Amino acid sequence: MSEQFYYFLQQILNGVTIGSTYALIAIGYTMVYGIIGMINFAHGEVYMLGSYAAFFVLAGLAMVGIDSLPLLLIAAFSLSIIITSAYGWSIERVAYRPLRGGNRLIPLISAIGMSIFLQNFVRLAQGSRDIAMPSLITGGWTIGPADGFNITLSYMQVVIFVVTFLSMTALTLFISKSRMGRACRACAEDIGMANLLGINTNKVISITFVIGAALAAVAGVLLGMYYGVINPYLGFMAGLKAFTAAVLGGIGSIPGAVLGGLLLGIAEAITAGYFSTEYKDVVSFGLLCFVLLFMPTGILGKPEVEKV
Amino acid sequence: MFIYHELCQDCEPDPSQTSRNPPCSSNILSVTRKLTQFAKGGFTSALYSQEHGEGEMNKWTKTAASVAAAMTLFGASTLAQAADTIKIAMAGPVTGPVAQYGDMQFTGGNAAIEMINAAGGINGKQLEGVIYDDACDPKQAVAVANKIVNDGAQFVLGHLCSSATQPASDIYEDEGILMITAASTSPDITARGYELIFRTIGLDSDQGPTASNYIIDHVKPKKVAVIHDKQQYGEGIASSVKAGLEAAKIPVVAFEGVTAGDKDFSALIAKLKKLNVDFVYYGGYHPELGLLLRQSKEKGLTAQFMGPEGVGNKDISAIAGEASEGLLVTLPKKYDLLPENKAVVDHIVAKGGDATGPFVWTGYAAVQAISQGLKAGKTDPMDLAEYLRATPTNTVMGELAWDKKGDLKGFEFGVFTWHKDGTSSQN
Repeated sequence: MSEQFYYFLQQILNGVTIGSTYALIAIGYTMVYGIIGMINFAHGEVYMLGSYAAFFVLAGLAMVGIDSLPLLLIAAFSLSIIITSAYGWSIERVAYRPLRGGNRLIPLISAIGMSIFLQNFVRLAQGSRDIAMPSLITGGWTIGPADGFNITLSYMQVVIFVVTFLSMTALTLFISKSRMGRACRACAEDIGMANLLGINTNKVISITFVIGAALAAVAGVLLGMYYGVINPYLGFMAGLKAFTAAVLGGIGSIPGAVLGGLLLGIAEAITAGYFSTEYKDVVSFGLLCFVLLFMPTGILGKPEVEKV
Repeated sequence: MFIYHELCQDCEPDPSQTSRNPPCSSNILSVTRKLTQFAKGGFTSALYSQEHGEGEMNKWTKTAASVAAAMTLFGASTLAQAADTIKIAMAGPVTGPVAQYGDMQFTGGNAAIEMINAAGGINGKQLEGVIYDDACDPKQAVAVANKIVNDGAQFVLGHLCSSATQPASDIYEDEGILMITAASTSPDITARGYELIFRTIGLDSDQGPTASNYIIDHVKPKKVAVIHDKQQYGEGIASSVKAGLEAAKIPVVAFEGVTAGDKDFSALIAKLKKLNVDFVYYGGYHPELGLLLRQSKEKGLTAQFMGPEGVGNKDISAIAGEASEGLLVTLPKKYDLLPENKAVVDHIVAKGGDATGPFVWTGYAAVQAISQGLKAGKTDPMDLAEYLRATPTNTVMGELAWDKKGDLKGFEFGVFTWHKDGTSSQN
């Protein structure tokens, strides 16, 4: 196989890695939008909280001398999911529920305020410096000729693909098979009617925020370990990118968020690989503008029907 | 706007005010500054307008007068305070991703102030250091500079990042405040013919040639990539290195910018691998280079990396781990190892500080330069600036002399090898 092909494959792999995590974060945006029609701009910050929670779990366990890899991973994922979900639930309770039923812009502004609050809260509590996060899974495969260009695929990248895939499958099963999932779908269709038919819509909305936060926590743990560095500012850009992914795929649609995330990741990698790293963000946000102008419902989104 | 406009006219009868006040403008910043100046100097004129002007005054002027009266009380209290201390404002990042460098500068500045005060101060007056946080952000730096003006400080140590120093220095020059930066290396800062802007560090245009000469003489790479963070400091120094290498016919096969704050460089690294570069120069700060080093090691890019003093920080070892071993960095000399500086090192260590950072010493020297001028009786910033340009000053960095632009004469960077434990050794 030619060098060009290896290079292309490497860039696709890089793109899929970053795209998977965009997808995980984008789910949080898309689910909340699907049910209450609001963009939760604090969601990027929830992802950052997930990274910090994982860091504390790992640091705490290291302090008591636990160093078995599976145990550390399970503890980091489960505790980070629990802590971050608690944040997701409280954010909805504090910042959005009291404003529900009013103008759509009001919770949006509350979300921006929440985002600024969370970022500065972590900055004040933990300092603004980069914190080095332990990389639990190191090493990887090298594919291709020893001299010349070869593909590297780290174990961590594989873990990211696998965990993302498992999370998505679990979410799809939950939405399509469980009782609560059915309630979620009913609320997404018509929240007023669902309420009349005896579905506890407040509970459904809370669950939506908890699920979004849990997936953001998964992304936070994965990316924290992959890059090895966390800081209070990482939620902002990640949130914007994930929002772009959600819009690209069609906001409100879960498969759309996954597709949008992957497409965005690959587009970034190809731009950086074949043109220039400088144009990476230009392409991401250019795509956002393009989608908003020419395909306002995104790739898999349903055209919004005005409810009467 | 109306209030301020009327207020400005109120100032006119006072002759001491008219000469100092710039003409009225609708610029909100200058208006705020004017208000404070008025409050400090315009005690009599404020009283005058309250007692005698009642009849002719319209509603706006009344409001203006009461605001002025309130401000006068405030101004009087700050004046009383300023009488026994000389305020030195220290501006730099207390927060934000490069707060470490701010720490270094503040450690040095505070140590100098404490030691000068302990030795009797300036002709009986004590120095007072006040820290201002600009978070290395140009917008915040302007806000901080205005605050410093309003707080009545006449001497500034700072700012730190070149992109923050540049807009802030415009304000200091306009307001007659002397500024010495201990860390901003962008040549543009002193290239604008300003009279009150100095630095105690070299320029990118010096640091670049130091780096490119070292690369040409010692590393002799076959293919070089030059990467930068698209900021004033990083891109400036990267361009200078690129020019130096190209002049020596060393091929620079890639010249690209990354976004500060970016976390994923895998696509860029794959590209560098494909181009087969054996040397990478990075112009920027440690958070990005740390990740670049770490990801390069994981992805099997075996090039030698080099960076400017903005990456020479213990945190790069925390971020990059083993991948930071062997990184080349251009840094100012290690003043903490000079025997004549032992007393200063001891003082800083006794206070629980870290005396190893480069800006500790440039910051210390900047305060020393200000205090030497003050001791010579040059209490006006303009006189002090004249004095610094004319008189070489003895500091912890040795004897410093400034040229007409405010740059140091003969400042030299050295090339150091970085180690994974966060230390460095001179090559």
